[in-house]
Amino acid sequence: MTEKNHIAITDESGDKYKYGFVTAIEADTVSAGLNADIIRLISRKKGEPDWLLDWRLKAFEFWQGMKEPSWAKLKYDKIDYQSLSYYSAPKQKTAPKSLDEVDKTLLETYDKLGIPLKEQEVLAGVVAVDAVFDSVSVATTYRAKLAEKGVIFCSISEAVREHPGLVQKYLGSVVPYTDNFFACLNSAVFTDGSFVYIPKGVKCPMELSTYFRINARNTGQFERTLIIADDDSYVSYLEGCTAPQRDENQLHAAIVEIVVLNNAEVKYSTVQNWYPGDKDGKGGVYNFVTKRAACRGEKAKVSWTQVETGSAVTWKYPSCVLQGDNSSGEFYSVAITNNRQQADTGTKMIHIGKNTTSKIISKGISAGFSNQTYRGLVKVTPGADNARNYTQCDSLLIGTACGSHTVPYVENRNKTAQLEHEATTSKISDEQLFYCRQRGIGEEEAVSLIVNGFCKEVMQHLPMEFAIEAAKLINISLEGSVG
Amino acid sequence: MNTELPDIKLIGDELPWLKEYRAAGRREFAGQGIPTAKTEAWKYTKPNRFLSMDFIFNPRGGDKLAIPEVNLPFVAYKIYFENGVFISCDDDLPDNIEVLPLIEALMFRPELKNKTGSLADITKYPFAALNAAYLNEGVYIHVKAGVRPDKPIALINHVTAAVRPELYNLHHIVEIDKGASVELVEYYGYTGAPKSSYLVNVVNEIYVAANAALRHYKLQDEAFKAGHLALNAVNVAANGLYKSFCLQKGADLSRNETQVCLAEEGATAEVDAAYIMNGWATLDTTTDIEHLVPHTNSSQLVKGVIGGQAKGVFQGKIRIASNAVKTEGCQLHKAMLLSDEAEIDVKPELEIFADDVKCSHGAACGRLDADQLFYLRSRGIPEAEAKQILIDAYLNDVMAKVDDENIRSWIKLSQGNPLPA
Repeated sequence: MTEKNHIAITDESGDKYKYGFVTAIEADTVSAGLNADIIRLISRKKGEPDWLLDWRLKAFEFWQGMKEPSWAKLKYDKIDYQSLSYYSAPKQKTAPKSLDEVDKTLLETYDKLGIPLKEQEVLAGVVAVDAVFDSVSVATTYRAKLAEKGVIFCSISEAVREHPGLVQKYLGSVVPYTDNFFACLNSAVFTDGSFVYIPKGVKCPMELSTYFRINARNTGQFERTLIIADDDSYVSYLEGCTAPQRDENQLHAAIVEIVVLNNAEVKYSTVQNWYPGDKDGKGGVYNFVTKRAACRGEKAKVSWTQVETGSAVTWKYPSCVLQGDNSSGEFYSVAITNNRQQADTGTKMIHIGKNTTSKIISKGISAGFSNQTYRGLVKVTPGADNARNYTQCDSLLIGTACGSHTVPYVENRNKTAQLEHEATTSKISDEQLFYCRQRGIGEEEAVSLIVNGFCKEVMQHLPMEFAIEAAKLINISLEGSVG
Repeated sequence: MNTELPDIKLIGDELPWLKEYRAAGRREFAGQGIPTAKTEAWKYTKPNRFLSMDFIFNPRGGDKLAIPEVNLPFVAYKIYFENGVFISCDDDLPDNIEVLPLIEALMFRPELKNKTGSLADITKYPFAALNAAYLNEGVYIHVKAGVRPDKPIALINHVTAAVRPELYNLHHIVEIDKGASVELVEYYGYTGAPKSSYLVNVVNEIYVAANAALRHYKLQDEAFKAGHLALNAVNVAANGLYKSFCLQKGADLSRNETQVCLAEEGATAEVDAAYIMNGWATLDTTTDIEHLVPHTNSSQLVKGVIGGQAKGVFQGKIRIASNAVKTEGCQLHKAMLLSDEAEIDVKPELEIFADDVKCSHGAACGRLDADQLFYLRSRGIPEAEAKQILIDAYLNDVMAKVDDENIRSWIKLSQGNPLPA
């Protein structure tokens, strides 16, 4: 059932998408198709316990009865779920003990991506990285230092083996497999992802980071991240994504589950830069992601920050379920679409506990022939006394052929709730542009200056290194959209 | 309610197009069925309670009915309906305003064939399909070029004791010619049987020609177990103005849907509404403003006060076509919840395909301000009165959207008290 794949190096880095190279690495890829046997095979390869296999099979059975959702403002070719391969792993003889044992080509790839895994062991870096290549996690840095504090940061397969109690307790408790079509598919076939546990009272000493990369052809990437912040703990988590340039579409259907207990705080930042397809909309990643955080404890706090510049199609609604009293959720988003990209993204804030607060700041920029939708829900249940929400969605349109849409839902069942929603749509003002041009700034540069100013409110919530990268990405994404 | 409607013999069946139009209505209604919670356009307002009811459609019966005693506190050219049946029209109408019972107009004005169902799309709105299936009652109003009548035209539908659940189907076609300027009032009320569970299903197709203006005011005060569904489909030509205000305060389930197409440059739409309820009802205000060409403007202000176990729904959509630059669309919805079991559901939507536009929407939800209440109470005003003052003040700006002073005071007087007695 397995086959060896040798992929030629086809580095087309002349183009704007600088991550569009393919790494020639021997991969262990399962043949295409999706059935119960494939799921058993994935589970066996990963040496999983029976309860997890049963759970996967249940999810698969449920998935077969589900219909792909069509409510989003997205147009894409029908995905043939049987033509995809659901497992691809870089070949390794035995599990590496340290980074030195990890395949050199792989490490070079990460260097190209700007993730200095290797150096990190030596240099006084501040970020611990878990890198996921195609389907499996290949390396996690800084384990020892984290272990000192009792922080568990490893791949989810490893967590299943070593911390089965924690995984079994929380896996699927925020996003059950019955949640939606893509989450259900992920539950059946997820191959790897990151697992984080921050013990009681621990402030994680460094930022944790995961890099995802799809390398092999015709594979889908289904990673699953589970973060548990125990009482009085804090963690900041970063996520980055890239994929090679390919003519065909690649599927990415991930799940992120976050459990936040009493007084804990989780900050989750994403820079999503999957391959967006070429200027005519050929190729690119289909990104269908379910992200949800449950504030289970009192005064729990979650903050989602995302910069979405990649993917041909994005379908993503990072949500907060505010169960604990006085808990709070935040969502800061910048989404940029150019050429033929489509994004339908937003958030859900479900207020259940008393005195819960949420804040949504969403900035959308559409250029070229792209279409973008903000879709959000603010829901206040009858018991959520004194709930407070503030939502602001601003859209900027660049060019006459793009579209920008706003679809917010507000459902209020408590009279003490105070909810506000504002949205505006406009273009870059001629006055601002004129002002910059008059001072000798080129048109393209002026546009990127204005756009960066427009996004500033969100960008300031990103950790430093990410903020710089994100600002650069915005400029790259908008190249060619002016004049 | 069975969605397979029987083919009832109606006047006008001898016109092939009309017979076919009614048949198409039956087909569409059977095909689309009554919307459920899964129908996006009806996500919050669930008309499925109609499913269990067996509405009787009764075309013009034998009894000649008397003019109902409905007194409007302002002068108007009045057109009366009782239980969905045309009764009379004031005979002092000037010559340049034409009012005909719809069926008469359809039979003798072949040009109206193209104006029937051309704005209210029966393939999209299931209740417009139901309306088409029984297309029979209603009026055709034609205001000729340049006419500015001295009084508003008032359409009054009055329901008297309906023993069985009856369906009252009304379809009005309103044409405002170039340069004319008219006020149109719609009033839906009842006497006698507050517990009647009838359903009023109205479709208005309104054509506003170049430089014309229509100010459209509506007061929905149906019996508390009744259903009221209205679709206002409007087309506005160059420099035309369509301005509407609707107060919904009655019925068990009510929806006032306004769909405006700004078809030519300079067209303007102002769609404002208010809803006040203290009971079990669902009151729904739905708008859909389509900017098809450059230099078109729209604005919307909707305010609601909800008490008891009632539910207020607002769904507003602004759509801007790809070439419709230099347009402005703004929308604001504000609601106040008075009780623990009240509910507000809001979905303001923007769909924009042009860059040089200015669009905004806002939505806010809150309660009576405790400080304000305290201020009034500390000055010796009893609690109930103080609350009423605050609610009146809250609704003041949206009520001010009614230009006609007499109509505004009539609407204000009828707004009622949303507080529990």
